[in-house]
Amino acid sequence: MAVNPSAPPAISCKGVWQVFGVNPKKNLDRAWQDTGGNVRETALLLRQHGLIPAVQDVTFDIREGEVFVIMGLSGSGKSTLIRTISRLIEGTAGEIRIGGEDILAADAKRLLALRRDKLGMVFQHFGLFPHMTILDNVAFPLKMQGMATGPRRARAAEVLELVGLKGRETARPHQLSGGQRQRVGIARSLAVNPDLWFLDEPFSALDPLIRRQLQDEFLAIQADLGKTAVFITHDIAEALKIADRIAIMRDGIVVQIGTPDDIILNPVDDYVREFTRDVPKGRHAHVETIMTCPDPLPAMPDDPKLSADMTIDSALAACMALYQPVPVWGRDGQMAGVVSPSALAGALKAET
Amino acid sequence: MTDRFSPGTRAAALVLLVGAACLVLAPLAPWLVKWPVALTVPATEWIGAAVTWLAGFLKPVARFAAQMLAYPMGWAGQVLIHAPFPLTIGVFTALGWHLGGWRMALGALAGLGFVLVSGYWAPGMTTLSLVAVAVPLALLAGGVTGIIAYKVPALRRPIHLLLDVMQTVPTFAYLTPLLLLLGFGPVVGLIASSIYAAPPIARNVLLGLQRVEPDIREAAAMNGANPWQQLFLVELPTASRQIWVGVNQTIMAALSMVIIAAVIGGFDDIGWAVLLTMRKADFGNSLVAGLVIVIFAVLIDRMSGSLAETRPAHARKVTWAILALAVISTLAAARYLPASNDIGLLGGITDWVNDVLGRFIIAFGPLLSSVKTTVMIYVLLPLRIGLDHAVTPATWGFPWSATLSVAWFVVAALLAAVLAWRGHLLAGLVLLLAAGMLKLGITHLPWPFVLLGAGALGWVAGGSALAAYAVILPAIIMVMGLWEPALLSLYLSGTAVLICAVVGGLVGLLSALSPAVWSVVRPVCDLLQTIPMFVFLIPVLMLFQIGEFSALLAICSYAVVPMIRYTRQGLVSTPEEQIEAAISSGANGRALLTEVRLPYATPVILLGLNQTILYAFSMLVIAALIGTTDLGQQIYLALGQGDVGLGIAAGAAMAMLALVADRLVQGFALKRSEELGLHV
Repeated sequence: MAVNPSAPPAISCKGVWQVFGVNPKKNLDRAWQDTGGNVRETALLLRQHGLIPAVQDVTFDIREGEVFVIMGLSGSGKSTLIRTISRLIEGTAGEIRIGGEDILAADAKRLLALRRDKLGMVFQHFGLFPHMTILDNVAFPLKMQGMATGPRRARAAEVLELVGLKGRETARPHQLSGGQRQRVGIARSLAVNPDLWFLDEPFSALDPLIRRQLQDEFLAIQADLGKTAVFITHDIAEALKIADRIAIMRDGIVVQIGTPDDIILNPVDDYVREFTRDVPKGRHAHVETIMTCPDPLPAMPDDPKLSADMTIDSALAACMALYQPVPVWGRDGQMAGVVSPSALAGALKAET
Repeated sequence: MTDRFSPGTRAAALVLLVGAACLVLAPLAPWLVKWPVALTVPATEWIGAAVTWLAGFLKPVARFAAQMLAYPMGWAGQVLIHAPFPLTIGVFTALGWHLGGWRMALGALAGLGFVLVSGYWAPGMTTLSLVAVAVPLALLAGGVTGIIAYKVPALRRPIHLLLDVMQTVPTFAYLTPLLLLLGFGPVVGLIASSIYAAPPIARNVLLGLQRVEPDIREAAAMNGANPWQQLFLVELPTASRQIWVGVNQTIMAALSMVIIAAVIGGFDDIGWAVLLTMRKADFGNSLVAGLVIVIFAVLIDRMSGSLAETRPAHARKVTWAILALAVISTLAAARYLPASNDIGLLGGITDWVNDVLGRFIIAFGPLLSSVKTTVMIYVLLPLRIGLDHAVTPATWGFPWSATLSVAWFVVAALLAAVLAWRGHLLAGLVLLLAAGMLKLGITHLPWPFVLLGAGALGWVAGGSALAAYAVILPAIIMVMGLWEPALLSLYLSGTAVLICAVVGGLVGLLSALSPAVWSVVRPVCDLLQTIPMFVFLIPVLMLFQIGEFSALLAICSYAVVPMIRYTRQGLVSTPEEQIEAAISSGANGRALLTEVRLPYATPVILLGLNQTILYAFSMLVIAALIGTTDLGQQIYLALGQGDVGLGIAAGAAMAMLALVADRLVQGFALKRSEELGLHV
């Protein structure tokens, strides 16, 4: 999770709209002008005319090396958004830049080149080619790059080993379990060593146990490769577990973007609050989100050795019997801030 | 007040009123019954002139193309006819092993062995060589059409319509314009087969491509496949199973059409052999030649059908061994092998069959002909010309009188009143309509009644658009001056469909209830569906001679299969949960059937009825060979006389009738499945 905030955004979306229906571009422009650029009213007007504004005026930057999760219920527009970004469908309006390049302006040839070299994608229902072996499935994007048979088989075998499927190279997709199939999907998406990694509800079709296992493996691979990942899910626990930042979507609008701690501790509205309602906050939020840096420092007789990236639960366990503020230590060994046990307990207060 | 009555009731009442009005006014205004000849347009002449004019330009190109096609056809013929027969049999046996293991290998060996000893080897191989050239052409044309329809969604509707028309225009109707264009010769049969066989592959390619999961398609795109790579490396292979189903259907259609094309004559194929022996009433040989066709059909169907299934791999070694054996035996015995034509071991058998048949006819002839006459007098004639004409002292033993007419309608009205009283108003109205139609006869129905009736059905089944469709197409037939043969077609196919619906429905019901029955019915259905239409004529002709009754039997035996299959399928596919829910609510077997399974199955059964109607229409034209007087006969006559205008007009009329029937029944099926919340 080494995120460099000063690097240029890997993906940047500005005012992205995706409208389905007849003449979407024209209708969107007109509605936008008629309402004086009001997003809600524009969407309402479009709906009245029988169009579907699936994604509305979405703006965000995704940083290099970041796992950016887009979360929402089905029909919230998250799958449409990832398809607009990867240009599997053509966006209606807005600007999408990948590594600074305006990809909505890319012609078919440039888009093909981007997909062959820079993008990888994992699909909810795996999208494996039934007529190819596992190895050929993983080697397919390399074949599209024009790599010769020998090297591409070698590379495919290497990636298959990474996802733990060594020895199953000659199997066909239908011979594998769901979890194994998605490993193949992951291997295929990583075969060309892409800069951007799109994952569209990759684990939603799997059993809970397999899902958790694959989440852990995803984190391990990501820790190793450090890709910029756009990850779609409808599962808040999954989002909190793997995200650096989360964008929550509702009816085509991004309602909140923030770190998992932000989402849990400072939900912007009832919709987000409803999502996080059953999440055990102490286990997902960290001390650094509630610590302060008061000046002058208060008297701190005790030091239970809290660190900034400790979860609130473990911090509370460490200062069960304390009442005075305590110091919080950063990873570098310097004091990062101060927190009082009562603030720790207060953060856990159930939302009502 | 109107909303007290369902749309069906209102429509039926209106049709009844108009029908009654026509009946009453008929003596005053005969034009109400019969569309005046003065108001028809000489459409057949116009079409004939236009097509002949057009053909004048196309002829050189067409004839050149025909000549080009003659080459591969000649090569295929050379290879198949002149190859030593042990080699041919060996290759097919090896193919059988490769595709379906020892059972299929044995089937190929035994089947081709029979063809050899039947004495029809050479005609059989001629037919196969025609199929061998027609199929790739059809696959190419149909495959490209399917891909275009997939790639250009805007073209999908017109292409679907084109395919519908291609499949409903009767087979013979293709032949007349092709004859004009290409002249006599086997190339006509070849091209007709390619045209006729192209729609199934086009449909299946499109269907298969549409069914490729979006994830697979998107994965290909995201992996950097360009549109062509996406199509050929991912989408087509993913759809391969569906495409193989299409290949199977295309091959069978081509075989069927190649055999039918024999009616234009000019080449010595197996269809011609059947036709010739039938004309000579040499039924022993007809049967044997027919059997050769059946063997080809079954072998080709099972072999190409296995391509669409996941099949276990069969040892390559055995394939090579069989091939080697074939080559060795060919080489070793080359000198001693008789020419394939000289192997007519069945000569004695066919004589024997003729002999037995002769004795059978002598013994049972009176019985058979009394069956035939009874059905004609008491069922077919009344349906065709009405009770008032069919009931004469010569047939029923007493004349039809005005008093009888009055009594007939009074009884019908009383029964209808009782039905209405019990709350079945619609049933009562339908009963009255049926009584009127039976009294008048289908061919004597007033045209306003027919058009309005079709429109009313369309309106109930699918709203005003379908109603307009159901009125306009028949009206075109009427204005073209083909109304009378069209009504005859309607009468023949309607009767056949009615019989199929009752018999097929019952057999389907029994098959659904008892697996034992199904285990007997199923192979029969498989066989009936594999046999080319032409072959159905042989047994009915043998037993009942030429005539409407034989035609009806042939139509029924061909068209009953879908009704059986769909009825059973609909009944057995009731979701298990619904059945369990009904049982736990205390339903017994009978209630389960009538309350749960039948209502749930109706959309599927309606689709079966739809198929049966289309089958009946396509067989109607073939049945013209054994004596009918309807549109099919017009098409057949046009073929004999080279009358392109009549051929095309009658063919189009037939297609229009079939399309209207198809849309009406599909409309009802769709409506019903929407009511059930199903997606058919």
